[in-house]
Amino acid sequence: MKYANIALAAAALSVAASGAALGQKQFEGIELKMLGIGDTSVTRLAPLVDEFEELTGAKVQIDQFPYPGLIDKIVIEASADTPSYQLMWVDSPWVGVLGESGALEDLTDLAIRDAEEINLDDIIPIQLQENTWQGRLLAFPASGMIWHQNYRKDLFEHPDEQAAFKAKYGYDLEPATNWEQYIDQAEFFTRTAGEVLAGNVLEKDFHGNAQAYSRVAGAITHDFFPIMRSYGGQYWDSETGLCAMDREPSLRAVDVMKRLVQFNPPDYLGLMWDIRTGYMERGETAVSSYWSVRTVRLTNPEEALVAGIGEVGYAASPTGEDIPQPTMTGALSFGINSKATDDEKEAAWAFIKWGTSREMMRRFAEEGNGVSMFHRSILMDPDLQERYPYYQVLLDTQEHAQRRIFHPFYADVEEVFGVALNKYMAGEADDPQAVLTEACNKINTRLKVFPVELRLRWIADPPAEIFSN
Amino acid sequence: MAYGRTRNRKIFLIFLVPAIAVLFLTTIYPMIYAGYLSFRSYDLAKPFVPRVFVGWANYREILTSSEFMHTLIVTFKLMVITLSVQLVLGVGIGVLTAQRLPGMALVRTLLLIPMMISPVIVGLIWLFLYFPELGYLNYFLSLVSISAVPWITSTTWAIWAIAIADIWQWTPFVMMGTAAAIHSLSPEPYEAAMIDGNSRWQIFWHVTIPQIKPVLISLMFLRAIDAFKLYDIIFVLTKGGPGDATEVLSMFIYRQSFTFWRMGVGAAASFVSLAIVVVLITFFFKSLNRSQERI
Repeated sequence: MKYANIALAAAALSVAASGAALGQKQFEGIELKMLGIGDTSVTRLAPLVDEFEELTGAKVQIDQFPYPGLIDKIVIEASADTPSYQLMWVDSPWVGVLGESGALEDLTDLAIRDAEEINLDDIIPIQLQENTWQGRLLAFPASGMIWHQNYRKDLFEHPDEQAAFKAKYGYDLEPATNWEQYIDQAEFFTRTAGEVLAGNVLEKDFHGNAQAYSRVAGAITHDFFPIMRSYGGQYWDSETGLCAMDREPSLRAVDVMKRLVQFNPPDYLGLMWDIRTGYMERGETAVSSYWSVRTVRLTNPEEALVAGIGEVGYAASPTGEDIPQPTMTGALSFGINSKATDDEKEAAWAFIKWGTSREMMRRFAEEGNGVSMFHRSILMDPDLQERYPYYQVLLDTQEHAQRRIFHPFYADVEEVFGVALNKYMAGEADDPQAVLTEACNKINTRLKVFPVELRLRWIADPPAEIFSN
Repeated sequence: MAYGRTRNRKIFLIFLVPAIAVLFLTTIYPMIYAGYLSFRSYDLAKPFVPRVFVGWANYREILTSSEFMHTLIVTFKLMVITLSVQLVLGVGIGVLTAQRLPGMALVRTLLLIPMMISPVIVGLIWLFLYFPELGYLNYFLSLVSISAVPWITSTTWAIWAIAIADIWQWTPFVMMGTAAAIHSLSPEPYEAAMIDGNSRWQIFWHVTIPQIKPVLISLMFLRAIDAFKLYDIIFVLTKGGPGDATEVLSMFIYRQSFTFWRMGVGAAASFVSLAIVVVLITFFFKSLNRSQERI
């Protein structure tokens, strides 16, 4: 704790050094506003912004909005001639549309310039790659994201449950390595009120699984895509740049999600990310795979009841029939509005460096506020690993990872597939192939007006240029 | 004299200018601009997509789209459900509350409260009630051993859930109009009907209803137009889902404009929606005129 505060002060002092030499704070009089989200990538930092003002003179206001609708506000902000927000929270799939439209400041040169200060070598490369568009760094990670499975470790390790599971399925009850096992576990732990679970009589129904099935803001696609990718699926056809999400891996992913429906809560069609994670946080489901940005709440009894009534275990995402696949990553990041003034951009970059610094992240961890970390040294820290058992999973899985979708037409994909998949899961369509093909056709109708060269450029992912330096 | 008239005209114009300016800036200009957009390809999020004149292509796309037709069907379905229930309940409660009984004014005021709440707040209130697992309605149902109803997460229930919220909010409007209309009726026809030995039902059906018919037609069409534009409650409760079960025309326009950012298509859909409302209004005025002629 002491070490973290000293290091943080040292980092901040270096930010303010030039101004301090002149007897005034470097960014005195500059006001920055951030268009942000109300989740752990921002909520941990938001109460501390006065410290940044104290150090640099720049006043920072963070406006926090829910995820659904946030991209709408960012697009409107990006299309305005005079920006109201100098800082923008960026989910990595948005990098394509924001990058192609020139809405975000290119941070490549700044990151190279300040590589030592920001401990660039310590950041897991995929988290930086997530924020690139055509090789240029457009945002800086504030929270890493890994899609992985959370399971009720206390239930999995209960002798009665282990014996009953083995008797029923013929293999040991351990974190699933493939989707068939995951479905078995979801089925096994689905119990109704009055039945016994780990020696206790249930007062209410217990759900084997909770996944996101809601169409709102395409939530269902955020579970569908990782499952599709875990079967080796791709978003785009590498020769045409058109939609490839109607092929065999996608069909298998749809099948997995459909088979899991019966083990989900009855309101599964309304399960948004936060509602779905709520089931695990309250200890009302046995297995649930989701993004680590919410996993970080599971060790804190103030944020998750389950920390007081049970124990959660963490494991990599299952794959299709145990065939190894790269883990699905994401990044929640901070970017700078390209229309901000030069002074504002400098101050905004100083804020990003301060707010995402290794010292700040370590401080969060030591103060008990979980953040999905992206610095290797923090994830490898034995003391922190003991406190945050999911660190090892984040560390291991990011070594062999694949970035999320980053196409300029991501919003279209998310919405079209969100509605199509939600309808299929609701039982309003029978043929999954027809559902996926129709969704792909809708996307392709919008893409086909562009030349193939452009479409192929949009799906290309050249390595971040910061690595070459 | 002539000088006075000219001066009066100038004063008229001076007083009119602010109103005309506001009307121009908030209604006429946006409408003209939306009309211009409806003939263009315009993607707000993607400035790299060419912003060009596309003729009637946006309108063609909408009118041949199965999604648009689906939203129209959902819109009319919701309109029919809400309108019919609001009319029956509103007239019924209106007749009851029109009685000159002690405390009735207070009852009427209390019944009007839902109408005074912003539709977004109404949506949030009902969201708390409908919320799966944690909602009040399912909690009360569980007390009487009825299993939870997936109010807003089932393709069957969702449209009814929205209709209930809208009916709760706007039935008082019909009630208020009905009660006011009944209060304005002259007592003579009632006295004559009673002397003739008619029953209460006969008096209601043959005396009250014909006299308040123009008011009922007005209420019905005002509600129809509002129901056609319904957006806020749906946005809060279901956002058009599950699937596309509650995807009404307003949601379609919103999605085109602010999810896909296809402002041209969104603008064209708005004009199609406007055309439908204009047809409804024309039909309303014709019905009203016919009704008044009969009276």
